[in-house]
Parts: sequence; C-alpha cells; structure tokens
Amino acid sequence: MHDVYNFVAGPLVWVAFIVFFGGWLFRLIRMFSLINKKEPFIYTYMSWKYSFRSIFRWMIPFATTNWRRKPVLTIVTFAFHICLIITPIFLLAHIILFDEAWNISWWSLPEGWADVMTLIVIGCCIYFLVRRLKSPEVQFVTYPSDYIILAIVAAPFITGFLAYHQWINYQLMLILHILAGEIMLMAIPFTRLSHMIFSPFTRAYMGSEFGGVRHTRDW
Amino acid sequence: MKKAAILVSLVLTVSTLLWVTAWSQEDIVVLDASAFENSQRPPSVFVHEEHNEKAEIEDCNACHHVYDDEGKLVEDESSEDQLCSDCHGLDAEGRQPGLMKAFHVNCKGCHLEQKKGPIMCGECHQRG
Amino acid sequence: MSEPAKTDSPQAPDIGLSSGIARLTPEKIEKVINDVIKGETGARLHTYVETCIHCGLCSEACHYYLSHDNDPHFAPVGKVKQTIWEMLRKKGKVSPEFMQQAALVAHTQCNLCKRCAQYCPFGIDIAYLMTVVRRVIHKLGCTPQYIQDTAHSHSVMLNQMWVKGDEWPDTLQWQEEEAQAEIPTLRIPLEKEGADIMYSVIAPEPKFQAQLIYQAAVIMDVAGVDWTMPATTGWDNSDMAMFTGDYELMGRLKRSHFETAARLRVKRVVMGECGHAFRSVYDMGNRWLGWQMPPIPIVHAIDFFYELLKEGKIKIAKKFDSPVTLHDPCNVVRGAGLEEKARYVAQQLCEEVVEMTPNREHNYCCCAGGGVINCGPPYKMTRIQGNRIKAEQLFAAKTRGARTLITPCHNCHSGLHDIVHHYGVGLDIKFFGDILYDVMEKPE
Repeated sequence: MHDVYNFVAGPLVWVAFIVFFGGWLFRLIRMFSLINKKEPFIYTYMSWKYSFRSIFRWMIPFATTNWRRKPVLTIVTFAFHICLIITPIFLLAHIILFDEAWNISWWSLPEGWADVMTLIVIGCCIYFLVRRLKSPEVQFVTYPSDYIILAIVAAPFITGFLAYHQWINYQLMLILHILAGEIMLMAIPFTRLSHMIFSPFTRAYMGSEFGGVRHTRDW
Repeated sequence: MKKAAILVSLVLTVSTLLWVTAWSQEDIVVLDASAFENSQRPPSVFVHEEHNEKAEIEDCNACHHVYDDEGKLVEDESSEDQLCSDCHGLDAEGRQPGLMKAFHVNCKGCHLEQKKGPIMCGECHQRG
Repeated sequence: MSEPAKTDSPQAPDIGLSSGIARLTPEKIEKVINDVIKGETGARLHTYVETCIHCGLCSEACHYYLSHDNDPHFAPVGKVKQTIWEMLRKKGKVSPEFMQQAALVAHTQCNLCKRCAQYCPFGIDIAYLMTVVRRVIHKLGCTPQYIQDTAHSHSVMLNQMWVKGDEWPDTLQWQEEEAQAEIPTLRIPLEKEGADIMYSVIAPEPKFQAQLIYQAAVIMDVAGVDWTMPATTGWDNSDMAMFTGDYELMGRLKRSHFETAARLRVKRVVMGECGHAFRSVYDMGNRWLGWQMPPIPIVHAIDFFYELLKEGKIKIAKKFDSPVTLHDPCNVVRGAGLEEKARYVAQQLCEEVVEMTPNREHNYCCCAGGGVINCGPPYKMTRIQGNRIKAEQLFAAKTRGARTLITPCHNCHSGLHDIVHHYGVGLDIKFFGDILYDVMEKPE
C-alpha cells in the first residue's frame, strides 16, 4: 500500500501538475496560434476595458440578468466554483505536503471549514446531476461525457471527504483521493473542464464586441 | 448515458451513507499534543515501547536529537529529558522547524527512509 | 439524434432546399463541412464548442424556445446540438436528411439575434455558430429558395429586389414629383458630389414602399439637409448574402455601397429604418472588406432622427396622440446601443410611450430578422409559432394602453405585422418615419 501511496503522492503528482500546467499552456498556445493564423481580426476588437467589464460583471452573483433569473442555480454555481478552487488550495493537509516537499507553506483553512466546503462541492455536484437528469433543456444536450466530467470533479471531493473522516478503508481511500485529484487536474485542459482556461477569453471577446462595437451590455 | 448517471448517483449516496467504524483501539498511547493551540487533527498514535522494539531503536537520540546553534546535529547527545516543544516553537525559527513540521519530518521522514511505518496522514492521526 | 422538434403545421414545400438536398452525396457533404471547418473557422468555433459545458442556461434567451413551451429543440444550445456538434462529432459524415434538418434549424429557427450571447455565462456566440452552419448549407447549394432568390438578385442587380437600372432613378423622380405637390421646391438630389449625406435604403423601398422614400425626402428637405442619393448601383444597403453565408457576394455588395458613397464624396451615409442592413454595413460587410469599422460613418435612421430633433432641425407641430409602444430591433439596439436615442425620438414624437417588457437590449426579437422572413412563405408559420411570446409581450403592452407599435426596422415591421395579425393583437404598426412625417412642422 505504501508503495502505491508513494507512487501516487510522488511521481504521479509531478505528472499531474506537468500535464495540468503544460496542457493549460498548450491549449492557450493552440488557441492563440489559431487566432493568429485564421482570425487575427479578433485582436482588432479586443478591449481591456470591455473585457474586464464583462468578466467582472459575470463573476458577481446576481449581477447579470441570467444570474437573477436563476437564483438557486446561481447560488449553487458560485458556491460550487468558490469551494472547488479554494478548498484544495488552502487545505491544511495539502499545504503540509508542500511544506515537507518544498519547504513552502501558506495560510490554511480550519479543517472544519474545509470539511463543510467539501460537502458543499459534493452537494452542488448532486444538484448538477439532478438538473442534468431532470431539466429537459439540459437533458437534451447531455452526453455521457457530461456525466463523466461531473464524476471526475466530484470524485476527489467524495474520496477526500471519506479519507479525512477515515471512513471505509482509509489507506485505499487516500490513494483513490490522490488519484482522483490527479485525474481531475489532467482532465482540465483536455475536456470541457477547459472552460476554466477558456472562459475568461470567450467572455472577454464577447464583452469587447458588445462594449466596443455594439455599444451595449452583454449581461 | 443513464447508466453513467446511475453509477455516479450510486457512488455519491452509498459512499456518504455507508461507513465502517474505524478499528476500535485500546491501550493507545498518543503523542503529547498539548503544546498545540487549536489542534486540527487528533494527536498521533504512538506507543513508545512497542515502536522502539519493532524499529529496533536503542539510541534515544535517534529521535530525541540535539542540534547546536549552527544547526549541526550533535552526535552522542540526546534530549529525551526535554519536551519537543521546549526547543520547537509553533513557528519555525531560522532553520529549526516549527513543532508540527518537526514531528512530521522526524516521524514520517524516518519511516520513508526505512520504508517502514506509517506515512499517510490518517495512519498516525487516527480518528476514534 | 433525437426526434425533430414538434411543429403545429406541416411546412410548405421549399424547392430550393429539397432539390438542393436531393443533389447531395455523403462524400460531398463531408468534403464541404470539413472544408468550411478546417478552411474557414478557427479559434472562435473550436473554443466555443470546447468551452460549452452543456448547461442550458442560454435556453430562456430564445423566443423560439419560450414560444414552443420550452421545447429543448429550440434552445440555442439545442440548435447547436442539432447542427454543428453533430458535424464536428461525425467529422462531416452526416446524411442529406441531417443537412435538411440542419438547414431548417439554422435558417428558419434562429434569427441570429444574439440574445443568447447575453445569457451564456461564457459569452459563447451561438449566432456565429449558426452562421457557420449556413455557410456550409450555402456551399452545399441547399439554401431555402426565397432567400437564395434575393441573393441571386443581389448578385445580378446589386440590389435585393430585381430593381432594374432605370427603375431606380425613375422611382426616385416619381417620389420627388409626388412630394413636390406638397412642397414645390423639394428635390431628391441625385448624384450630388460632395453632399454631406448619402441616403441609402433597402430595395423593398423602391419596389413596393416608395412612400417611405417620399417621407424621407420631406424630412430631409424640411430639415435643410445637404443630401443626395446615387443614381447608380450601390444605393441598396441590404444584404441577404450575409444571411445565406455567401460572404464573397456580401463583400461585392458592400464594396459597391461604400465605393458609391466614396465616389459621391459624402461625409456620412444615413440609412432608412432597417436593421439587417445596418448589421451588414456596420458590423459584417465592413469586416469582410477589411475595415475595422465602416470606412464612412454609417448613421441609422433612429440616430439621424435623434440628431434632427435634438438640434431642432425638425420641429413637432402636434405630438402623435395614440399611445405607442416601442419595439427594440436587435440589430440596432443589441447591435448598436441605440435604445436610448430611440426612446428620445419616441418621446419627442408621441404623447405617450408605453414600455414593453423585456425591453432595450433584452427585447425579444421579431422572429423575422436574420434572414428568416426572407426564407419566404413556406416558413411563415414557423416564424409566427416561433414567436408567440412576442404576441404575449405586445398584448401586455396593449393592456397597459399602447395602441400603436413603432418598429424602426423593416424586418421587424413585416414580422410583427404577421404576429399582430395572426394573434389578433390589434396594434397599428408604424415606422418612426411615418410618425415623424405626420407630426412635424412643414412649410405652409
């Protein structure tokens, strides 16, 4: 078990982060080279002002028409994304591992908060799942890959929660947790989870077109 | 499509509802964690005699080390008459690690070197 | 693929579409789709498709979706699924039947109004994705018959309505004579080089709405504007090629239009109350020709009337006393932010303006724009059934007192005419120009 642990918590972490950041970079390079090759006009219309106007507006809950139309989904979406990003970065156990490996550490969340935030992520995943199954307009555009993506995101949190509470088989659960996290990291650049990479750019472009050319709001 | 969905929901529900109570433990001796304010994890399980017997450790200073002012390990001196927290404050001081990190490096570091003993968080910080 | 969407009545045959589809082979479809996707699209298409998380949040932006009781086939993302996703997923290996359905979706179930772009949290431009589909359909020769016919007219005559060379100046002179009965000194100055303004219209105006040219001439004359109209081709600012995906033709049209304005050395081009033409000259055609913004400033009628009223060049004799409600055309409101100017004009001209909701940049489309009405009679019911929500919106405005509906756009005007009549809304539909002509002070 420890050999497996050492492998997933050692070399595989490197692999995961290299794939994650490398993939991120690769997708950006590919996007920009496509723009340069095929659609350089996009730069002509890009505006910092309207890009950030649009990005910030959509990052504030209830600041856009559609966020206001869907209050529950809005709360779930924001809670989900905030917890999804904050929890792993400021989790004590993760920071301790970084500290032991590289001697760097930073502020950490109290474990109780992290526990609640993990449950929030899991709860939101359940909400997304139910929405996908029950909402006709979502169901209609759902592919198996949508469930897989959801599972990829939910898995590190479910296994992390179980490992933290040492329920079921602790050792196995921790190994599964690390693996699940690595799978998620590696999946981000190469699945629709890449909206993490691309959404600021699509938002910025639409914001620029709406602000600079159309003189109107894109929210 | 449905299958995948059912599978996910199964994992979600079953795993949250079902748990096996952790190994019931008697005679556990744990490390003294009283120096920590606001501990985030249960104190580490550590049965001193059993550990040393298993690990075949005879020299106290294998764990109870002493470092001089320049940060060099002082051979043949041991600190078993002191609390770890007598030297290690909660925060690192220069090259001297903080108490928590000292514990982690001391225990886990050795376990990793020896390829023996617990190395995963919850193996030491066991929940009852 | 799921079942096609439910429609309440069968569509009339469309020979352009059906005979085009009959000529297709799987090989040809595959080649054309891949040619377009590899050759003509780039970061936008790929990033949009790969970023979309299939959340369905765009659905309620669409008037078709709302009008069809939330049938997901009509959700913007549902339309993307029925078209571009499948084309990409199958790498172009789709059947002629698929292409027929894709043509119906892209040409008759989307007005390219871009309301969904305001609802997508990522700002994915679904209307752009639909234009990619239309481009494929154009290259496959399956464009619906009626709109293709207008594109043919554009190609041959450089105007949308088969207006022949001499018919154009003839119509202008006819309207000049008519207007001289009212204002004897009135002229419609043809080919006046160095005038401040070139006035441009869409071909349906000389073809069957010549009174609009009459009204414009009176407004220009009373306001004392130094204006002109070309006697040559290039007068028509309309552009169905933009909507069929025939961008080469769009380029020819806009080049002719801009070059005509340049030849006349005018400072600005003022255009009539048309939305799609504004999109073509302001947003699409200029880009195809390599202009970031139009090479000559383009002023939409709303903007122009705003200017005339604001500067006091036109005085109002007696305000229009029937309460009005104002429809915000996508192409000049969501497309150019003219909503406040439109309201200023409405308030200057009319006693009472009743707002409809939603309005301004969130207004529901008329369901005629984006070339849908130009696909002709076979799809009239598609448009009408696809915009029940608009009828409800208009009813609500009527309940709050509105009696007249102002639509400063030709497509909106015609589309809402059908909506109002089919659903029995009972609103009088007018252009700003109609009302302005009626209520302005004219020389005795």
